[in-house]
This record gives sequence, C-alpha cells and structure tokens, in this order.
Amino acid sequence: MTEKIAHYLGIDFCGMSLETPLVLLSGCAGFGEEYTRVTGFSNRDVGAVCLKGTTLEPRLGNPPHRVFETAAGMLNAIGLQNPGARYVVDEILPDLDFSETRYIANISGATVEEYAEVARIFDASPIDAIEINISCPNVKEGGMIFGNDPAMSARVVAACRGATEKPLITKLSPNQTDIAENARCCIEAGTDGLSVINTVAGMVIDSESGRPILGNNQGGLSGPAIKPVALLCVHRVYQVAKAHNVPIIGQGGVTCAADAIEFLIAGASIVGIGTGLFYDPLICPRINQGLIEYMDRKGVDNVRALTGTLRCNSPLTV
Amino acid sequence: MEKTHRATLFVEEAEILARDEFEGDQIILRVAAPRIALAARPGMFVHVRCDPALPMRRPISLMAVEPTDGWLTVLFKVLGHGTRRLAEKNVGDVLNIIGPMGVPFQVPPDRPRALLLGGGLGIPPMIFLARWLMQKGERVSHATNPSLNNRQQPIDSHEDSDRRELVSAALGQETPFQATAHEPLLLMGSEIPFPFDLCSSRIPVSLPDGVTAAMAPMEALGIPSRLASGRGYPGSFQGFVTELAELWLRTQPSSTYREIALYACGPEPMLRATANLARRYDLPCQVCLEEFMACGVGACAGCVVPVTTPTGVAMKRVCVDGPVFHARDVFL
Ligand SMILES: Cc1cc2nc3c(=O)[nH]c(=O)nc-3n(C[C@H](O)[C@H](O)[C@H](O)COP(=O)(O)OP(=O)(O)OC[C@H]3O[C@@H](n4cnc5c(N)ncnc54)[C@H](O)[C@@H]3O)c2cc1C
Ligand SMILES: Cc1cc2nc3c(=O)[nH]c(=O)nc-3n(C[C@H](O)[C@H](O)[C@H](O)COP(=O)(O)O)c2cc1C
Ligand code: FES
Repeated sequence: MTEKIAHYLGIDFCGMSLETPLVLLSGCAGFGEEYTRVTGFSNRDVGAVCLKGTTLEPRLGNPPHRVFETAAGMLNAIGLQNPGARYVVDEILPDLDFSETRYIANISGATVEEYAEVARIFDASPIDAIEINISCPNVKEGGMIFGNDPAMSARVVAACRGATEKPLITKLSPNQTDIAENARCCIEAGTDGLSVINTVAGMVIDSESGRPILGNNQGGLSGPAIKPVALLCVHRVYQVAKAHNVPIIGQGGVTCAADAIEFLIAGASIVGIGTGLFYDPLICPRINQGLIEYMDRKGVDNVRALTGTLRCNSPLTV
Repeated sequence: MEKTHRATLFVEEAEILARDEFEGDQIILRVAAPRIALAARPGMFVHVRCDPALPMRRPISLMAVEPTDGWLTVLFKVLGHGTRRLAEKNVGDVLNIIGPMGVPFQVPPDRPRALLLGGGLGIPPMIFLARWLMQKGERVSHATNPSLNNRQQPIDSHEDSDRRELVSAALGQETPFQATAHEPLLLMGSEIPFPFDLCSSRIPVSLPDGVTAAMAPMEALGIPSRLASGRGYPGSFQGFVTELAELWLRTQPSSTYREIALYACGPEPMLRATANLARRYDLPCQVCLEEFMACGVGACAGCVVPVTTPTGVAMKRVCVDGPVFHARDVFL
C-alpha cells in the first residue's frame, strides 16, 4: 500500500482501522483464502473481508442448483453451508494472515440464543468484528424472519451485544417495509455499524419443466440489478444512522469505482463487493485506483469526506 | 500453514487465434493463454467471460494445451446467453479467462490401461486426458532412453513440437503403445455430429466388426478411438458409449481387469451408467462433473454436489474439490 493510497483511502470503521474503504462481502469470499488462488489478487487491497455466514452447528446448505445468472445479476440460494462456529474459530482463523486485512465473522442462527452463542464463540477469537446476518433469504428458520421484524431484529442485536465487546455490524434486509425503522431499532439495541443491503428475494423458473431452477425454489438476487434498490436503502438508513454516528457498509451490485462512489454519497462509509468479484477477481485494486482519481479530481483528500454528500433535489410542487 | 493454493490461477487476456465452427452449433476456439497452458492438466477447466454484458462467467473444459506455444483449445456448444455471445467472437478478439481451475484426473500408475468415455460435450476433457496419457508414456520412455534424454527434455513438461513426429513414428511400428506407460482407449458417444474429422481406424481394438470409425486427430497420435451413436453414423457403434465399453471389457481376460481404470465425462445418465459399469467390473472410475458456478475458486459454495465421505454426505464444490470425483463417491 503506497502512502498515497493510505492517505486517500485509509478509514476508521467501528473502531477498526481499514487500509481501504472496500470490504469483500460475506458468502462471496469464502473463509478469506479462496480468492488468493488467483494470481494478482490480494486481501491487502481491501479494508476487510467478511467470512461466509456461520452458524452454531455445521450446515450442509441447500440442494443444487444454488446459483443462476439473471439479467444484470444472479440469484443464489446457498443456504448457509458452513462447518460451524467452533470449527471456524479453531481450524480456519489460525490460518488467516491478520496482517493482510481485517476479518469480520458473519453469523446466523435459528433462535436469538443461537445468535448470541455464535457471537460468544467469535468473541473468544482473534476476529476483528462480527456481522449479524438477520437478512438471509435462503434459510427456512432464522435469517430474514428476524430481519423483517424490527422488534425481533433488536432482540437479536441486544443478545449479541450481551455476548461480545467486539464491533457489531447488523446486516439489514431490503425485503421489508421500513428498513430505516429497523435500522433505528438495531442502533438502539447496540449495533456499532450497519450493513445495507443483503440480497433481494427472488425466483427463477424453467418454463420447460415448470419448476424453479434453484434447489431451494427461491433465492436472493445480487449484482448490478439490485444497485438502485440498495442505493435508496442506504440513503434511507443513513438518515437515521448519521445522528448516532453509526457507519454503514453500502453494498449491492458494485462493479466499478463510480458505483462505489455512489454508495458513499448515499451515506455509506465503506463499500462492499460481492457478486462483482465473480466477474472480475481483480476488481478491488481497480476500484481503489478509481476512487483516488475521483478524489483527486474533486479535491477531496480522504474518502471519509464523501459519505452522505448527496444533494437531493427539492421536491417539485405543481 | 503454508499457503500452497495461492497464486495457482491466472487471469489472462486470451486472444482468439483460431475459430472453427461445426454442425450442431459447436465451436472450437484456440486461444493464447501461456500461463494457463503451462499449468493445465486433463480435467481442468477455464472460467470464461463470454461478454462484458453478462454478469457471470461460464466454465469450459480444456480440450488441448500446447505449453510451448502457449495456447489452449476449448470446444463448446451454443446453448444459452453466454455461449451464444461466445460464439459471436472472432479471431483476434480477446477473451478474459481464468484458469486452470479444478482438480485434474489422477492416473493410478498400477492401472496402465485407461478406458476413456466421453459423451457429447464431455468429450473435450477425454481428448486432453488421452493425449496426456500418451505423452506421459513418452516422458517415461524419454527418461529411460539415453538418446532421447540427450534432448534435455524435462520429465514433467508436455508435448513439444517434435513430440508429434515421435508419436507418428511410433504409429508405424507393430505395437504402437510399447513405449507408453499408459494405453488409452477413447470411446466417444454423441447424438449430434462429431466436431472432428473421422476416419476408419487402422489401430486394432477388440470390438465387433464394423465399429471402425475413429477420431482422425487421435488416430494421428496413435491413440485408438471409437464412436458410439444412436444416429447410425457409418462405422460407429449403434448404441450408448457405455454399452460399447462393456463390449470391449467382455473381450478382455478378467485377469487383466486390475490393470484397467475408467475415466468419464458427459451427461449425467451416461456418468451414472459408467459408474454402474465400474461397480459391476470392480474398476476404479473417475468422473468429471458439471454444476452451475459463480466464483470458480471455491469462495461461494454455489457449485456443490453431494459427495459420500467417510464421515457421511458432504456438499463438495465442483470448482475446487472437483470437477473430477471418484464415481463411487458421487453416484451411489
Ligand atoms: C467444469 C465444467 C466444464 C464444462 N465444460 C464444457 C465444455 O467443454 N463445453 C461446453 O460446451 N460446455 C461445458 N460446460 C457447460 C457450460 O458451462 C454450459 O454449457 C454453460 O454454462 C451454459 O451457458 P449458456 O450461456 O449457454 O447458458 P445460459 O442459459 O445462459 O446459462 C445460464 C446459467 O446457467 C449456468 N449453466 C447452465 N447449464 C450449465 C451447465 N451444464 N454447467 C454449468 N453451468 C450451467 C450458466 O453457467 C449460467 O450461469 C462445462 C461446465 C462445467 C461446470
Ligand atoms: C453466493 C452468495 C452467497 C452469499 N452468502 C451470504 C452469507 O452467508 N451471509 C450474508 O450476510 N450475506 C450473504 N450474501 C449476500 C452478500 O454478502 C451481499 O450482501 C449481496 O450479495 C449484495 O452485494 P453484491 O451485489 O455486491 O453481491 C451472499 C451473496 C451471494 C451472491
Ligand atoms: S463456483 Fe463458487 S465455490 Fe464453486
């Protein structure tokens, strides 16, 4: 990391000092090492890596097919396949190189108690922060059921808050009526940051067989197709979160520096990359470079200054 | 932990060097990708960005690699959006590809006779494997033959340009496979026209009279091949490739079964039938699977298949745990 990059892109997020405002998103970057197979890829190009969604017990996940391309995006229904929190802490974290980036656990549970238990397991680990996934559309129990109800969301957050001192980030679902109200409840329950948004619930159907293509019947939409939805969600959540100084990881369909900048302007402090990696594993250094060029051009000396700079048009009165 | 997996895949801007179109919307592309060509092994695949307008890549098996000249070939059929866009690319266009991905076929040294079954779009990896086995045999002979060793041929590099002459020279002899450590026999099935020149084989294979149609490029390398098709192509076996394989197996003395290994790639029903055959004849069998993919590097768990392990069923990723699996682990 050159000094220039650090100067422009270095940012604090929930008490973590990040080298760049990019985060690899949960479920898209495995348990931190998978993408390092690709020559030229480095975890050092991002401020943090969110690990795959983890539950108390191991999960096999959903039957195939689990992914499918859609117009400008993809649908996935992985179903939180993971080896269980203990295994992650005991067998996977020791192999991660914490000098490269910050690692964030992403946790799920079928009950409030399970969320707290998983948070407790990660609390006693070197993990840098914990992201609470209350917005997974691909599992029957837990996940989105908590995320769609602000009171339930708050209970999950409060339980995790009681289980860890580590930074807590709550990941919100777009599949609900009032995401800003949900954000408010999570902030009151003690979340340090917000992750906006998880995938949008959807379905793909094979007209020949008359069956859904995904083994789980339904899935979550990601990629450029959801970017406008995500930008509006970030904008709305920011209206609530800014007063509490609760920062946002903006995400949904980022594939270039301009996309990332739009999320910052809408109110995100840092920006997540998920589906974009599948298309271009070397996307992050390019976005970093694009961010620097933009800031140079705009005379901005740190990425922090872009957050929430959206200048809304005054509503038209006829 | 030593991170041996790191930097084993390459992103290449691969220029299309040649493009051949065949009946049934089948296309063979030869692209320049030196780093992938050098590291590739049979069974591995590349993840291809068919078009910037599409959000996902498409996995395509490697059919041949030429490490010295730095190119590789793939064969694909136009099916949906991705392959249609890929078919629109011309010589000189550049494709962004990542590879070589996946675990290749493992060739047990104590099973010198390799029965390779390819069905439809599963034929390409079998062609790669057949060539590889042939060349591997030559590497062994290079190592043991001092005059060849003088050529400074590294034991583990594959075909160089004069390698082919060597193979053709071997073809002229009575027993072309004397020098090779592995004897591949390639049986291919397809219900669409084969995208290869066919010829009437001069390499004897114990199969019913009349089953003589072979793949000319394999024949030229001294690799015996035969075709099966329900479409009744001249010289082909009328039926499934697995039936043809069984006919061949029946002609072999059962005492030699312990020298034989099966390798297969093709549609699922064919792979199931192959797994079945392997079980009945008690032969080791590896199959190359397909599943929808997103990342291709093991990061998304999108491409899994259920696999039997000593501790029960596990969901294994076709992109990094496969695409090659033991048939007995994936087909119960
Ligand atoms: C390891 C591996 C090797 C392959 N090798 C070859 C090859 O050598 N030649 C060849 O023609 N095809 C090969 N395929 C299949 C090829 O990837 C599919 O034909 C292709 O993905 C279909 O894409 P499309 O754009 O035509 O269809 P679309 O309908 O546009 O595909 C939509 C989505 O479904 C996925 N999909 C659909 N069918 C398949 C399939 N059979 N396998 C994987 N994903 C699928 C696509 O990747 C895409 O995400 C291979 C697949 C795998 C997994
Ligand atoms: C294949 C896949 C798996 C995912 N798994 C998880 C997960 O385990 N936990 C989670 O909180 N989000 C998960 N997500 C959602 C992403 O983290 C991200 O929020 C979403 O995809 C939007 O960003 P993108 O458009 O950049 O991908 C997954 C997304 C994809 C595509
Ligand atoms: S395609 Fe992502 S794990 Fe195989």
